[in-house]
Amino acid sequence: MSGEPILRTAGLVVGYRAPVLSGIDLDFGRGQFIALLGPNGAGKTTLLRTLSRHLKALAGTIEVLGQDLNALPALDLARVVAVCLTDNARPPLLPVDEFVALGRYSHTGLMGHLSARDTEVVEQSLAAVAAGELADRLVEQLSDGERQKVVLARALAQEPKLMLLDEPTAHLDLKHRIEVMSILRAQCRSQGLTVLAALHDIDLAAKISDRVLLVRDGGVSDDGLPEAVLTSDKVAALYDLNTADFDRHLGSIEFRSDGRAGTVFVIAGRSHAAPLFRLLSKKGLAIATGMLDGSDLDACVGAAIGARVFLRPAATGEVGPVLNAALAACAACDFIIDSGPVGIEADTLRAGAAASGRPLLRLTDTASLTGGTERGYATLAELSGAIDHLPFFQPQAGRTMNVERGA
Amino acid sequence: MSVTAQALSEPRAALTQPRFNNRRASVFVALAVLLVVFMLLNLRIGSISYPVEQLLDALFHPSAQDDVAYIVWNIRLPRTVAAALGGAFLAVSGLLLQVYFRNPIVGPFILGISSGSTVMVSLVMLTSIGLGFSGFAPYLNTLASCLGAYAVTAIIVAIAVRVQNGVTLLIAGLMMGFLCGAFTSILTALAEKESIKGFVLWQMGSFSGLKWVEVWVMVVCGGALLASTYLMSKPLNALLLGEEYAASMGVNIRRCRLLLLFLSSSLAGLVTAMAGPVAFIGLAVPHMARLSLGTSDNRVLLPAAGLLGSLVTSLCDLIARMWLSPVELPLSAITAFFGAPLVLYLLLKKGMKS
Repeated sequence: MSGEPILRTAGLVVGYRAPVLSGIDLDFGRGQFIALLGPNGAGKTTLLRTLSRHLKALAGTIEVLGQDLNALPALDLARVVAVCLTDNARPPLLPVDEFVALGRYSHTGLMGHLSARDTEVVEQSLAAVAAGELADRLVEQLSDGERQKVVLARALAQEPKLMLLDEPTAHLDLKHRIEVMSILRAQCRSQGLTVLAALHDIDLAAKISDRVLLVRDGGVSDDGLPEAVLTSDKVAALYDLNTADFDRHLGSIEFRSDGRAGTVFVIAGRSHAAPLFRLLSKKGLAIATGMLDGSDLDACVGAAIGARVFLRPAATGEVGPVLNAALAACAACDFIIDSGPVGIEADTLRAGAAASGRPLLRLTDTASLTGGTERGYATLAELSGAIDHLPFFQPQAGRTMNVERGA
Repeated sequence: MSVTAQALSEPRAALTQPRFNNRRASVFVALAVLLVVFMLLNLRIGSISYPVEQLLDALFHPSAQDDVAYIVWNIRLPRTVAAALGGAFLAVSGLLLQVYFRNPIVGPFILGISSGSTVMVSLVMLTSIGLGFSGFAPYLNTLASCLGAYAVTAIIVAIAVRVQNGVTLLIAGLMMGFLCGAFTSILTALAEKESIKGFVLWQMGSFSGLKWVEVWVMVVCGGALLASTYLMSKPLNALLLGEEYAASMGVNIRRCRLLLLFLSSSLAGLVTAMAGPVAFIGLAVPHMARLSLGTSDNRVLLPAAGLLGSLVTSLCDLIARMWLSPVELPLSAITAFFGAPLVLYLLLKKGMKS
């Protein structure tokens, strides 16, 4: 019966009195890492609480290993499903190993005495989260990251087949966030554990999960491979993003500039300009850039950041019209940055830039001052300082800064 | 290297049993010895004090026809045993409530549960409801007392579901206490003079004047309740993580909750029926047990709290009798002297944390 799904729902409606999500049909197999994504208040927690039986389903069915969830005795359910809630208990005067041993509840007898095997499982669970050295510490004295690992160990000690986690990485620093996710993933791979985790961190979710569920507009809107589901448009719609964009190639969020601080043309190519784009975007500059290949990393980041990207046409296409448009954009902007690409088009743009008479800042390893409107900078930090001192440049917090200077 | 490996595996081995190390064992022994000492003191000292030999002689010859045997067996022993039992019941009741509400500053008295019992007992004692049932007095009082305790517990739980704030819960408990107090004083005002005196004495809290039949009610009912409570240590431990985690680990929450509240209110009601409302034992003793043993494991904590409750209540009863002798002080006054400052201390500690 290995083909039996761990969890299956049909026509599930969840909510508190009024439905929050409806028409949910899910089917979880063994060893999957499933990320539950959606904005705050979309119903992720409601769905998790219904699947863990903390909340009654309003309609529809939930089957755990082929059995009706409601018909399962609490002890039997605890041997299949473990949960990690956002409300992390801090019981006083409880050592970590006794805390983890509470996870053996459904396996021990009347007074909860641990057998040799129970003790072994507790040890293994602590080892799996790399928290063996915490065993004798008190739970109340742990840091957030340590406690989250111990909470995971307690859930693992249940030897569950399905683990439901509500934002397991909230409040954790990057190191612990990655650690917690890696532990879960390792359990999926090695023990065949199925993980359903509500996550906020879409970057991490896209990179670690086997499958994503998008929750919005009163239902599960998408269900599938993160690589297929998480497109820029889907993510923007899911979180109602206005000032940022998700780039599926990079698997990360890029912030869009509002362009109020001025316009800049970046002569780019050969994948060097991505950090530069982010820097300019943060300064509030509207960016135009060219000439890039569609496969260039600069093109991805540029598009995600909201830049106007002039793409080199495919082999058969005409370069001329695009190049002319780029030249026009170059001439119309406030200043120009040369990030140092090589090639005929780059040289054409350089010539156009020089002819336009706009300030030209050159990012180069050897600061070669060539005079005129062109200046060279060896590092992004130097370049950033130079942009701040351009006469027309108005930082977004400029007004208050000017007041301070005037006073 | 093997030494290191052994040292590493040692704490793990402790897991198979509740950690019963030397410290805990010595705490238990010390508590038991002290309890025996205080109980003997309670038997020996009084308006007439007896030498130990005379006391032991009277204890082992209950049917002897002398004053010592009579006083020890009919006045001091019932009182001493009742105080020890009552203390244990209150402490365990308080511990259960503290686990249930996941709040260290609760107990049967401070949540108004004892006051609920008081109202119901006053109904029996001050009105004619109990007339004609004088032979059933201990049973009737106990029943009324428990019913009062259940009623207040139900109300407090209903409030706790709506407000998740520990301090608000305390205020709710105090208000229940005031309400019950108001009701009791109205009943007192309306009652006949003869019945008031006994009632007022009872209401101040005292284990004096208890008959053997009442002590036996405490032994049998209380014993059964304590045993049932100990059998609940495992779900109680799971509840340390909160109801939601407990449910996910396999605890039948609905049943567990009902049983826990039933046990806790019954224990508190039983003591109140016999000795009147006794303040702060249920709140303070679980803390003393936790601190002296350094654990939250209820398999260890329940017996410890029971033992410590007996000890503290025996001591308080001794102080109440002897401090300003021959005037006997109300037991609740003595227990409040150490209980109320403890509540303030805990509130301050909690406030500083948040």
